[in-house]
Amino acid sequence: MSSKEKTGVLQGTLDLIVLRTLHTLGPQHAYTIAARLEQISDDLLRLNQGTLYPALVRLEQQGRIKGTWGRTESNREAKFYAITEPGEKALAEETRRWRQMSGLVEKLLSEGA
Amino acid sequence: MRRFLWRIANLFRKRAAEREMKREIASHLALLQEEFEHQGLAPEEAALAARHAYGGVEQSKELHREARSFVWVEQFFRDLLYSARGLARTPAFTLTAVAALALGIGLNAMVFRMYDAIALKPLPVADPDRVVRVERWFEHHWLGDIQYNFAYSEYEFLRDHNTVFSGLAAATHPLPVSATVRGLFSNEPIHGFAVSANYFAAMGIRPLLGRTFLPDEDRLPGGNPVVVIGYSFWQQKLRADPAALGQSVKLNGTAYTVIGVAQRNFTGTALWPIRSDFWAPLSMIEQLDPNFGADWRTESYGPTIRSMDAQTFADRRPGFQILARLKDRIPRKQAQAETDALMRGYLSQYRQTERTRAVTLQATAYFPNTDDIRFQAASVGILMVVSLVLLAACANVANMLLARDMARQREIGIRLALGAARSRVVRQLLVENVLLALFAGPVGFVLSAISAPLLWSAFSGLLRFSIELGELDLGSDTRVISYGLVLSLLTGVLFGIAPALRSSRGGIHPGVALHGRHDSARLRGALLGTQAAVASLLLAFCGAMLSYLHSSARLYPGFESRNVYAVPPLPGLREKLEPMPGLLVAMGRLPLSGTFTPPMRVGQWNRKTFATYASDGYFETLGIRLLQGRGFSKQEADREAPVAVISESTARNVWPGRNPVGQRFSLDLNFQNRFTGFEVIGVAADARFADLRDVDPLHVYLPSAEMGGLIVRVLGNRETTLAAVRGAMESVDPSRATPRMLSNLEDDLVAPQRALLRGLAAMAGTLTLLALMLTGVGIYGVAAFLVNQRTQEIGIRMALGATARGVVGGVIVQGLRPILIGSGLGFAAAVGLTAVELATHPFPESLVRAVFGHPAVYAELGVMLAVAVLASLIPARRAARVDPIVALRYE
Repeated sequence: MSSKEKTGVLQGTLDLIVLRTLHTLGPQHAYTIAARLEQISDDLLRLNQGTLYPALVRLEQQGRIKGTWGRTESNREAKFYAITEPGEKALAEETRRWRQMSGLVEKLLSEGA
Repeated sequence: MRRFLWRIANLFRKRAAEREMKREIASHLALLQEEFEHQGLAPEEAALAARHAYGGVEQSKELHREARSFVWVEQFFRDLLYSARGLARTPAFTLTAVAALALGIGLNAMVFRMYDAIALKPLPVADPDRVVRVERWFEHHWLGDIQYNFAYSEYEFLRDHNTVFSGLAAATHPLPVSATVRGLFSNEPIHGFAVSANYFAAMGIRPLLGRTFLPDEDRLPGGNPVVVIGYSFWQQKLRADPAALGQSVKLNGTAYTVIGVAQRNFTGTALWPIRSDFWAPLSMIEQLDPNFGADWRTESYGPTIRSMDAQTFADRRPGFQILARLKDRIPRKQAQAETDALMRGYLSQYRQTERTRAVTLQATAYFPNTDDIRFQAASVGILMVVSLVLLAACANVANMLLARDMARQREIGIRLALGAARSRVVRQLLVENVLLALFAGPVGFVLSAISAPLLWSAFSGLLRFSIELGELDLGSDTRVISYGLVLSLLTGVLFGIAPALRSSRGGIHPGVALHGRHDSARLRGALLGTQAAVASLLLAFCGAMLSYLHSSARLYPGFESRNVYAVPPLPGLREKLEPMPGLLVAMGRLPLSGTFTPPMRVGQWNRKTFATYASDGYFETLGIRLLQGRGFSKQEADREAPVAVISESTARNVWPGRNPVGQRFSLDLNFQNRFTGFEVIGVAADARFADLRDVDPLHVYLPSAEMGGLIVRVLGNRETTLAAVRGAMESVDPSRATPRMLSNLEDDLVAPQRALLRGLAAMAGTLTLLALMLTGVGIYGVAAFLVNQRTQEIGIRMALGATARGVVGGVIVQGLRPILIGSGLGFAAAVGLTAVELATHPFPESLVRAVFGHPAVYAELGVMLAVAVLASLIPARRAARVDPIVALRYE
């Protein structure tokens, strides 16, 4: 799969994953978010870490996350993203919708079996 | 929404966003590398691994950019820059294209600007949408200004009985008076209006200085000699002195006190754009215009008037224009229904000379009757003609673009091959074209702003005899600006899309390229044909103008003009002038000052004819020779005897080969299908009486001592005789003897008509020349292109034994074909337009002859063909010199 197709698949879920990650782990820089993504998805969602950026830009423009420049423990410069108030709301809403959606799809698929 | 704003913002902080992105990516890579180093990799290996894990840095940047902003907008700006650079590299091409388009756009914008000022701009009153003019429709279809003429009693009735208007004001038509201010000027001719006292209030007009009229300031006849003066009068004649308030101004000998100065933008509400120098209350109307008798308030439209033409009727029946302001929330339709019912009910109590069939409410504009279908049709017609010129310009620029894009096939091919989307390439080419049009737009716009006032001054010069027009507000309003902008954009897309699509097709696959080129030849042929068609249409128009000009400027019009003057028909003046030496005097209408065309019947024969009322001495005064019989006697004129003098052409047309004197015919003078019989007593020489362009095909003169105006012809010394005429006018009515009261037939009627024809001929000539030049350039381009294309083929033919002559001939024929087809179509269109004109023109013959009767038309046609042959000859000769061997190795 090309990275383009992959982001296509992920388009809807990537935002949710990023928000959820920031929600549970607190402010993170892009690298840790990417690492976390890989870690929880195993090989299923292996993607180039660069593909994360459009989602970050989009979320920041939507005001759901906010980036500030800071230093890592190793004293490296990095941009830390934190989830905002509207971000939390969006996360709750998106989670609810996702559950609803996936339940529906699951029901549909098992019916056919 | 928030995201949208961000994206917009990012368009403008592109550099900052780019820096931010790089910084973030660098930081990410550093972190990755650190991680890999922790896992034990050497720094270089770790860096490599980091890049690998990260993925394509450039791709990710692209994704980043796409997410953060509108890519297409950025691309658009890039295209714009690229296009601008390209256009700057080829200044000759750019200048030619911009000039051609600017002329086309300018011409269109000028016409629209005139139309806007004439028909769309509202009067300078408050809330102009709610103000209407009351207009009447006569049973016998008298049209024109007379439809806005109401008796005061009609106004009063409507004012007191309506429930739909919040204000109803009466204003006279412009009154010419002579003004004197002690110490500043004396006997200056100015124009003003007598208005009802509520006029300013109803129009929502506040004065700049002082006050307007008090509610009953217009009641007492001859009382309240006060005036509100116009801004320009105040500025120019009273030196903008604030002390002008309270000052005394003498108008026609009566002293008035200035009580107010109008705002600068309030130029008046006359039917035509006439500058208003003053407004006086209606109570002063008799002093301002002696045509209003003492009974003007009570007079209705009742008294019987003998048969007369509409113009004379209006001259003799001074009346009022009624302006009304609709009440809030009352639609115009409802108000119109009530007004119509009220007025017709009122009028039914009276015997009317001309029955009023309906009363309507018209939206106000600077000109009367602009919603008349004929005016609208004429406007559309003119707009279509100038659009043709724009079309020709577009066709030519498209052709030039095609030629240029041929040279860019390689560049475009490479871009396509490198993976540029076709739509992207087309978009870029289109941007280039729109850019050209947008350069041309403002230039054209400025051209229109310069040329429209020139056209207006020519037009007002033409009408100077009957009406003294003021400035027309030809400034750019939003309508004019948006028209110009939309026109420019449309133009860009119109001339640009075809070549753009064409260009992007070629290049990538040789097969497609070849096919595309073939198409392109056909497209260019079509474009050339369009140009040729427009050029020949213009040619026909130009020919008509030239022949009109020729006949009107060179030929004797059939009457004396230089020494003939119109004098106001003051009572008793004719008797004073008649005994003067060196002076011929008569009553009647002057040539070129409006016509009257009643149906004429002789047995079964039935047609409209021009008719003119003339008194005794009329033919001598105007220098119209009598060829047979005699003119009218004083008795015949006084009692309007049933006799007539006819023109030479009339005699020839109606009674060919017979003696016309003693023949009888009848006329329907009132257009009521009631014919009156006349006996021919004389034949007058033909004259260009109705129109300088041609001799009247039919013209009858009827005796009357009253109709028209006083005409004098000076035989002796002009200065002393005219001074004597002025003296006589002053002795009859000192208030009206202003210097402008004498108008000269040559200066005020003949010369402006010639000037207009000359102007039109010059314009048509320039346009034709331009169209010819463009066509020539186009033909050359096509021919050169074809030869270039067919080098190989020509080489093969020549190798197979084709002669050079045959090759040249073939190329020329190919170049000429679209021209011949196009000019054929153009002339067919000219004939078609002429046919339309014929159907609407009462005296048709003149036009056909006008269009095709002038040698200049054939000369220009010859020039066009010569240009076409020459333009294809140059590349054709090159084709003939093709070396078969070289040609076969070509490409």
